[in-house]
Amino acid sequence: MKWLLNNRNNGLDFNLKTKQTDDWVRHLSELDTESDFKIIKINARGEIRRRLLDIGFIKNQKGRVVRKALLRDPIEIEIKGTRVSLRRSEAEFIDVVEQD
Amino acid sequence: MRRRRRRGRGKSGQFDDRKLIRIALAGNPNSGKTSIFNALTGQRQHIGNYPGVTVEKKSAIITVDGKLVEFIDLPGTYSLSAYSMEEIVSRDFVLNEKPDVIVDILDSTNLERHLYLLLQFQELGVPIVGALNMTDEANAKGIKIDHDQLGMILGIPFVKTVGSTGLGIDLLLDVAIKVAEGELESNKRHLNYGKRVEAAHTAIINTLEMDQVFSARYSQHWMAIKLLEKDQDAIKKISKEHQHFDLVLSVAREWRERLEKQFAEDSEVIIGEQRYAYIHGAIKETVSLSGHSTGIDFTEKIDRIVLNRFLGIPIFLGIMFVIYQLTFSLGNPLADGISIMFTRLSLLLTRILPSGPLQELLTNGVINGVGGVLTFLPIILLLFLGLSFLEDTGYMSRAAFVMDKVFHMFGLHGRSFIPFMISTGCAVPGIMSARVLTNRKDRIVTIMVSPLMMCGAKAPVIAMLVAAFFPNNATLIFWGIWLFGWITAFFIALIFRKTLFKGEQTPFVMELPPYRRPLIKNVILHMWEKSSEYIKKAGTVILAASIIVWFILSYPKAPQNTVKDFGKTDVTYSIGGRLGKSIEPVLKWAGFDWKIGVSLIAGVAAKEVIISTMGILYGIDEDVSSQQSHVDFMVKDKLKSDPNYSPLMAFALMIFIMIYIPCIATLAMVKKELGSWKWSLFQAGYTLLVAFIMAVGIFQMGSLLGFGG
Repeated sequence: MKWLLNNRNNGLDFNLKTKQTDDWVRHLSELDTESDFKIIKINARGEIRRRLLDIGFIKNQKGRVVRKALLRDPIEIEIKGTRVSLRRSEAEFIDVVEQD
Repeated sequence: MRRRRRRGRGKSGQFDDRKLIRIALAGNPNSGKTSIFNALTGQRQHIGNYPGVTVEKKSAIITVDGKLVEFIDLPGTYSLSAYSMEEIVSRDFVLNEKPDVIVDILDSTNLERHLYLLLQFQELGVPIVGALNMTDEANAKGIKIDHDQLGMILGIPFVKTVGSTGLGIDLLLDVAIKVAEGELESNKRHLNYGKRVEAAHTAIINTLEMDQVFSARYSQHWMAIKLLEKDQDAIKKISKEHQHFDLVLSVAREWRERLEKQFAEDSEVIIGEQRYAYIHGAIKETVSLSGHSTGIDFTEKIDRIVLNRFLGIPIFLGIMFVIYQLTFSLGNPLADGISIMFTRLSLLLTRILPSGPLQELLTNGVINGVGGVLTFLPIILLLFLGLSFLEDTGYMSRAAFVMDKVFHMFGLHGRSFIPFMISTGCAVPGIMSARVLTNRKDRIVTIMVSPLMMCGAKAPVIAMLVAAFFPNNATLIFWGIWLFGWITAFFIALIFRKTLFKGEQTPFVMELPPYRRPLIKNVILHMWEKSSEYIKKAGTVILAASIIVWFILSYPKAPQNTVKDFGKTDVTYSIGGRLGKSIEPVLKWAGFDWKIGVSLIAGVAAKEVIISTMGILYGIDEDVSSQQSHVDFMVKDKLKSDPNYSPLMAFALMIFIMIYIPCIATLAMVKKELGSWKWSLFQAGYTLLVAFIMAVGIFQMGSLLGFGG
């Protein structure tokens, strides 16, 4: 059953998270379609963090949730003038605040 | 306009005395790199692999004004980290081979993200020329780039190009050659990472310089940056090759930790953000957006339909259905035509040549084998026509987007659907199509399970068995077995992912590029490449393997005077036949007798051979009943009336045939695609094991429950 837990442990430190989270900060995965957001922090590690960095997910970057697939996973994000698709599990690593 | 002479040349030849200018082509995926490479080199491309890995390497040598120029196409990547084979290959190529110049292709409409890769190439310390590609699209969107100014800021010459029309290609080549020959300057400065990072960077360079041999081998500037980024591959290189590696690593660690404390951020992120900040500054000064923003663009209009939550999957299935139909309904008659041609040829030879081993080798071995290779060709051509269309338009990533959820549940990628679907026609092109998966683990798992689908060769065998033993529920059972192939593939993929390929899943983070019209030239070139590669690499292996299988099933011959009667044919005396007989005691557990055993062994050559082998074993003379459907019919009758066979055994047999060892062409393809026989053997082994366990399980359980009658 270890594998079930593996995904969870990938760089997501729950204790750390709750300490820093206030009411405004949400995971990117929780946003509705068509919401604009600004990135506060990326909580991932290793390859996934690097991939997010390489495609433009950095602190203070603004973006928009364009749409979601049938089961709300994956989600399409517009960032730095590009459309990018992310799995929900990956979007959970990204802390954002919603923008008007 | 100046006329340019271009000529293709092999690596050796009369030009050896002249200096070869080496130009590496780099760029993000979707930067239009392939178009530029094709425009620069035409059809003279040489395709191979980078040494030691299965990353495809395209290169070409042309002459420009009497100068020899070699182009090397680096894999399209977003970055130069050490997380993927493609990125390491690109870096290592630049570090070890030191090309004279790198031409980096950038999408002008998306400069910020594309410059991010350019900066990382610049860090490697090689002269760079930037191609501001898709200038036409940028103009249409009102994006104005001051390329001289941008060149001043980054210290790199930039040329505006349009890959699809060839605009600016001559100038690009000119500038690249000038830079390579030192007539034009490039890369005189590198980006400033800010005071604190620079301090750490300088300190690390100072320690790196202690080993002069190492310093001469690698760019220290790059090494220092990579050490700050905690790049595993760079650390490995230092540990192996640097004289004072422990000192270097401990100094690097110290500075890295200091930086991470100061920024309260991971060093890799600090450096990445510095790159973006630098790019942001450069873009602010050189790029202006004028005029109209056009609301909803073309891409969004299409995506609103094809990525619609509810329409997405049906549209995707529809598109796949069309490609599948085109590939097989157009390809199969062509394949049959080729097959008939070869049968005629072999008949002709039978008449001309005296009978004997040579005649048999030529007709049954060689001609059959070559025919077997070539019959796949029309299907492969058509398949790659469809796939390059999907890839070049930009739809492929949308397909992954709509299908990913289901496939991800089984540890696969959304794009795995394509090889699965194609494999329901034929696993050989199916395995080739697994190239749509860019991640190696995804690709291996997909390739390992794709042949579990019911392909065009298994279908008639299953249909015949269904008709013989389940005449009342034929359709239902046939489609049930078809579905069984998919389900098995999914579950075995899941098992592989949890055992052999466990660990971190590779990220799905993926660009959805704007839709573009595919260039006919690129599509045709792509088809040509894949097909010639198939013939050269897979074809030879398939041919050799078919000859070996033919030999196993024909030698030694039956004694001269044997009456070719029930079970006393050449096949039974052959190595394969004897093997089939000798394993009968084991096969009995699944209810199979030796005749089935021999047919199954023959089926490894090609699955449809199972029927004809049964025909031979039942003494059905092929000459009399040359009509395939007739053989089918007679075998069906014989099986039905054989008292040893029950519907339960037939069911176990069908499951066995679905899963067991893929045909020899598939195994050869697996070797070619994954670069090692190890994978083909593994596939043959695991499928045989699973098939046998399932068949025995079904037969034994069924017998216990009283279905054995």
